[in-house]
Amino acid sequence: MRDGDGNTLLALFAVFAPLSLLSFGGSNAVLADIAEQSVALHGWTSEREFADFFALSRAAPGPGSMLVALIGWKVAGLSGALVATASLYLPGAILVCGASLVWGRWRGSAWHSAVERGMAPIAAGLFLSGGIAVLRLSPAGPAVWAAAALATVALLRWPKLHPLPLLAIGAALFALIAAL
Amino acid sequence: MSEKTAEQTEAEGELTAAVSLWRIFGAFFWLGCTSFGGGSVGWLHREMVLKRRWIDDETFLAAMALGQVMPGANGVKLTVLIGQHLRGGVGAALALFGLLSGPFAIILAIGAVYAGLGQRPLLHAMLDGVAATVVGLTFATGLGSVWRGSPGPLPLTMTALTVLCIGIMRWPLVPVVLVLAPLSIGLALALPRR
Repeated sequence: MRDGDGNTLLALFAVFAPLSLLSFGGSNAVLADIAEQSVALHGWTSEREFADFFALSRAAPGPGSMLVALIGWKVAGLSGALVATASLYLPGAILVCGASLVWGRWRGSAWHSAVERGMAPIAAGLFLSGGIAVLRLSPAGPAVWAAAALATVALLRWPKLHPLPLLAIGAALFALIAAL
Repeated sequence: MSEKTAEQTEAEGELTAAVSLWRIFGAFFWLGCTSFGGGSVGWLHREMVLKRRWIDDETFLAAMALGQVMPGANGVKLTVLIGQHLRGGVGAALALFGLLSGPFAIILAIGAVYAGLGQRPLLHAMLDGVAATVVGLTFATGLGSVWRGSPGPLPLTMTALTVLCIGIMRWPLVPVVLVLAPLSIGLALALPRR
């Protein structure tokens, strides 16, 4: 982990800032784009390292795409981690803020309300589909579907239940299955 | 939960004015540090809608809908939109900084530890268990907010159609949304609101 020289930091910015503005389709699309850029195009990490970073970002709290901090760290130390993280999140955040301001100007009109009411159930459907996609990708097979179903029922039945104990139970159960 | 949603929309103005910037930062910092498994949206919904009641289900789904047509990670987009909804641009900046600063420090710390540990199959199994449980949180959030936010056969059908096309049939997202979105918006425009 060497210290970031100007060129490396600039390269991190030049890769992640456009990604921030182009990765449509939520977390899965973001991760796929990050993998493509840092493994295939720039050789910042090997495939093995990327898979490890991905596993780490799932173990850590926060957005899954936070693995760019690890990529930046590997390439250029702490300044690399900071530049990679800021480049990935800030441009998109500013864009969303601006879009929301423009969109809010039409609040109250009939079509504004119709677009929001019409898009809401589709957004919910896409969100649910994202969960299904994660289950499909998991190497653990039917066990993850069963665990997900159980957690769903528990959280719908008791919405105020804190998910952390459930996560601990999930982790313990899967560790037990793997150990047997 | 359902007993509050109707008045919440009415009282939104007063409700949001009361949230201080410090509390916004604190709430999102806490969320960032506790939202394990990569599914920030479920955690956001639980904390902002169910627990703190800073926004209602309808506003949450509207923000998700706006987020769907924008690039980036869903949890991050929602954080910015909720922060902005509560306290404008400063609220959005503090919410985003709050959400990211904890995980940034934590993932670097874990990375340093992991570099010394190497591969552990048991660790991978535990991560699978965490991921499965977080998907449960995702499902509960999606189903719960549709149920509470917009009851009625039409929105439910639209949600079911989206899940069928994208989640089950695995058709590409863009064409599916290009067909379903105008249909759903057109129907919402044609049919008066309850």
